[in-house]
Amino acid sequence: MTNHWIDIKNSDYILAMGSNPVKNHPISFKWVQKAIENGAVVISVDPRYTRTSRKSHIYAPLRSGTDIAFLGGMIKYILDKHLYFEEYVREYTNASFLINPDIQLPGEKKGVFSGLEAVKTKEGYVDGKYDKSTWSYQKDDAGVIKKDKTLQDPNCVFQLLKKHYSRYTPEMVTSITGTPKDSLIKVYSTYAESGASNKSGTVLYAMGWTQHTVGTQNIRAMSIIQLLLGNMGMAGGGVNALRGESNVQGSTDHCLLFHILPGYLKTPKASQQTFRTYNNENTPESSDPLSANWWANYPKYSASLIREFYGKDVPLDEAYHYLPKLDDGVDYSWLTIFDQLYQKKFTGFFSWGQNPACSGANANKSREALTQLDWLVTVNLFDNETGSFWRGPGMNPKKIKTEVLMLPCAAFFEKEGSITNSGRWMQWRYKAVSPPGEAMPDADIINALYIRVKKLYEKEPGAFADPILKLRWEYGPKNADGDVTHIDPHMVAKEINGYFLEDKIIKGRLYSKGSLVPNFTFLRDDGSTSSGNWLYCNSYTEDGNMAARRNNKDRSGIGLFPGWSWCWPLNRRILYNRASVNLEGNPWAPDKPVISWHRNVWKGDVPDGGWPPLSAGAKSRYPFIMQAEGHGHVFGPGLKDGPFPEHYEPLESPLGRNPLSPQFVSPVIKRWDRDKTLKNVNKRAKNNNRYPLVCTTYRVAEHWQTGVMTRWQPWLVELEPGMFVEMSKELADIKNIKNGEKVRVTSARGTVDAIALVTVRWLPFKVDGKIIHQVGIPYHYGWVTTSERVYHSNDKKPEYFTFGDSANLVTPNIGDANTMIPESKVFMVDIIKL
Amino acid sequence: MEFSICIDISKCTACRACQVACKSWNKLKAEQTENKGSHENPPDLSANSWNRIVFMETRLLNGAIDWSFFNDRCHHCEDAPCMYAADSVPGAIITDDTGAVIYTEKTSQLDYDSILSECPFDIPRLDEKTNRIYKCNMCIDRITNGLKPACVTACSTSTLNFGTKKDMLKLAYDRIKALGRDANLYPGEEYNTFWVLPENQDRYPITKKEQNKPYRIARKTFLKQLSKKLIGYAMPV
Repeated sequence: MTNHWIDIKNSDYILAMGSNPVKNHPISFKWVQKAIENGAVVISVDPRYTRTSRKSHIYAPLRSGTDIAFLGGMIKYILDKHLYFEEYVREYTNASFLINPDIQLPGEKKGVFSGLEAVKTKEGYVDGKYDKSTWSYQKDDAGVIKKDKTLQDPNCVFQLLKKHYSRYTPEMVTSITGTPKDSLIKVYSTYAESGASNKSGTVLYAMGWTQHTVGTQNIRAMSIIQLLLGNMGMAGGGVNALRGESNVQGSTDHCLLFHILPGYLKTPKASQQTFRTYNNENTPESSDPLSANWWANYPKYSASLIREFYGKDVPLDEAYHYLPKLDDGVDYSWLTIFDQLYQKKFTGFFSWGQNPACSGANANKSREALTQLDWLVTVNLFDNETGSFWRGPGMNPKKIKTEVLMLPCAAFFEKEGSITNSGRWMQWRYKAVSPPGEAMPDADIINALYIRVKKLYEKEPGAFADPILKLRWEYGPKNADGDVTHIDPHMVAKEINGYFLEDKIIKGRLYSKGSLVPNFTFLRDDGSTSSGNWLYCNSYTEDGNMAARRNNKDRSGIGLFPGWSWCWPLNRRILYNRASVNLEGNPWAPDKPVISWHRNVWKGDVPDGGWPPLSAGAKSRYPFIMQAEGHGHVFGPGLKDGPFPEHYEPLESPLGRNPLSPQFVSPVIKRWDRDKTLKNVNKRAKNNNRYPLVCTTYRVAEHWQTGVMTRWQPWLVELEPGMFVEMSKELADIKNIKNGEKVRVTSARGTVDAIALVTVRWLPFKVDGKIIHQVGIPYHYGWVTTSERVYHSNDKKPEYFTFGDSANLVTPNIGDANTMIPESKVFMVDIIKL
Repeated sequence: MEFSICIDISKCTACRACQVACKSWNKLKAEQTENKGSHENPPDLSANSWNRIVFMETRLLNGAIDWSFFNDRCHHCEDAPCMYAADSVPGAIITDDTGAVIYTEKTSQLDYDSILSECPFDIPRLDEKTNRIYKCNMCIDRITNGLKPACVTACSTSTLNFGTKKDMLKLAYDRIKALGRDANLYPGEEYNTFWVLPENQDRYPITKKEQNKPYRIARKTFLKQLSKKLIGYAMPV
């Protein structure tokens, strides 16, 4: 979230799209409800009429996978009717920037941008990669980007945007999305009202936008709208991802993903053989004196991270050498890992706090892949479909050699620590009860593992032992051997914040060696500071544990509550807040100011840098400080699949063509289905009669993720006991299916049984001249807690059984071009009555 | 002090935290359920399920969808017919200053069918093993110790509210005024659990039986009602 949960109450227009907050983020609706009481208009855009739709003022349906068409139409509407916030667009976004005149847009290039190198097929281009050299800014002799503040130059971003979305007419959009034209215009005209300078609109999105081959571009499209309407940085504005797990924001901040280190630093590549090269290639440059270009500080953050890992005694260059490197151009994401495992490219696997047998797309492939393992360690609260994969449906235990080790771990209330919520609040939590039996906190399991591995390296020298042997490990009290006996979460939190490693005089004040760094502006690239995550530097200082603060006073009047917990970065509650004021520093929305310039200081939230407002001239800085150019990206040259979002059909589409262009699906997605050797496991349903129904997946409030924690909870199982498939009455009539009957959902990759939930809340779509039916299934179930399976005497048996297996048995293993998040939100199926 | 629960249906999102909170506080067992083609579960009130969200969905003639949620539970009648039907076993069904109608362990001595048949809202349920009758007790153990009922505490949207009857009625009428149009108070002021319905009652899945049956009112009830009418609505302290 650029903003935070409470801030939703400040919104005038709330768009819930790609999410179902009432159902999946129930508490969020407390704040939506407050906004409604203040007069806000809530808009729900969803393939089916959801509980969120029920609580909204406006509902519009759309076919899954067509959000870019829908939002592209909104961009066109805003531009055509001149509903954008002109001053904001001109001053704070890159709309005025001049682009390389050689750029070509999809409208003039058969649905793709200039620079594509790809294979041509009947469906358009595939296996492509863009050379982005034409997606560049024009610069003057000083290296500063050329601008046309009148927004009239045909090569300026604004005019290119207009040209690109001129193709997204309401008629075209409707023929793609299936949204009735009047609903479409209603949504457009209502949401565009947030472009008034004193109004703000927010978008609440979740996996309904990310789990697509064009997921990143879905969010880009909305980001463009938010910039056009001047909603970024505003109270009640922003682009707000409702995260799917209580601490998923924290896990991302602290580098759970393969391509980033803590604080969104880049994972080193094999070609970056020196620390200097690594820093140079990751540190952006700007010749514009008004651009803060915050990432210019990259070397300070990377040096401090390396110091935290390896300490003061290992030179930075040597310590950098110890960091794992990615092979250049190789993807290490989830889908790739399981593809590699399926091909037996590795033989051991820690399944830590996860359940890949149910959670990953194309679960049959994941389950089959697990059989290749020599050993599997599952760290979890309960047995699950992954730990017991060898005795799951269709498995022959006698033929599976994998040794499975189950390590029971503590649940969140059985250990102390912090979690970071969607609003970037790091909140300290306390241990309520001790974990049962042999269960341990995850960190203690990691500690035990580290000590054992280190001892083995000490005893039997292996290849490249130094990265392990020289690792600093100051995370708890130590025994006589120097081993940490148990992890102290406060010590970990302090390491994340960072220390001064030598006495330092900064601005006339002495910061002594061993003291905690006050905030990341004090971090240095010379190795004199450490910080396990620069973004969290300021969270645990000499003043104490900021995350544990519980002051519920709010003088801001907009619900910032700055003394409650701590928020990255620097306790700034609303990101890009320098865009919430005009050039003089006065709030666009005076009745809900985020910051304001008053007697030469900023009042309100922690500003995005303390520089004076832009009217101050050379001393000021542009508001979007994390972009090298300091401006919000209407034109986004950094992504793999284009500087403007363009509609492509999902990999599995109910249509035989893309109504917008000859390019059927995104030309740059990795196509596992085109790998001839593994054709049988990476199947794709082409437009055919075998799988005529669009299917999507979603969650229910009562279960969590693959249900490992909730399927054992009787009260929750009582509420949502099993797998269902929601469908329209019209489809049920065609299929002769009655409400409550058992049916089988089949896709090119697998089948899953479900109870038919026939509802008036879903209507067939009229798309590209055809009637398209869509259905939906929840994702939380698995065979381990069902009544049909065999329970041996030492198996834990649930008090109450669930019904059905994972939705991922039918989803496709195809990922977003930028993130590789699987397209679990749209694929083709059929339904058979059992 | 007479207390009430005011259920503002206009704010209900059907998250069902109230169902879970009730079971959690009152240590009620779950039931093995099945999905029967609806998100509604368990399928009925029972000795172990004292409140539940009932769903009703219709597509109106103009194509709009009407999807309503109703939180079904004991209405805590001021003059509970079930209490008078239980006269034969003193202490089986009691009420006190809080306004809660309480079923005690002595309900096992009652004839369940006659108690059920007296309830206009089809609420009491029998535990066939113990023969005891159960329903919502307004978390009497909580409210007499300064806490709100478990369901109210768990409600994140302020659908469920708890307080003095006076405050709750004021809240209800303020909301009805704010919602306007067809908003109404259901079933009425003579209950200590009442609902603010934004639409007409027939738009909700409300269980009411034998609505035309005249209330059989005991003499002392009649006198109590009469005295209330005579002295106006005074709050007992």
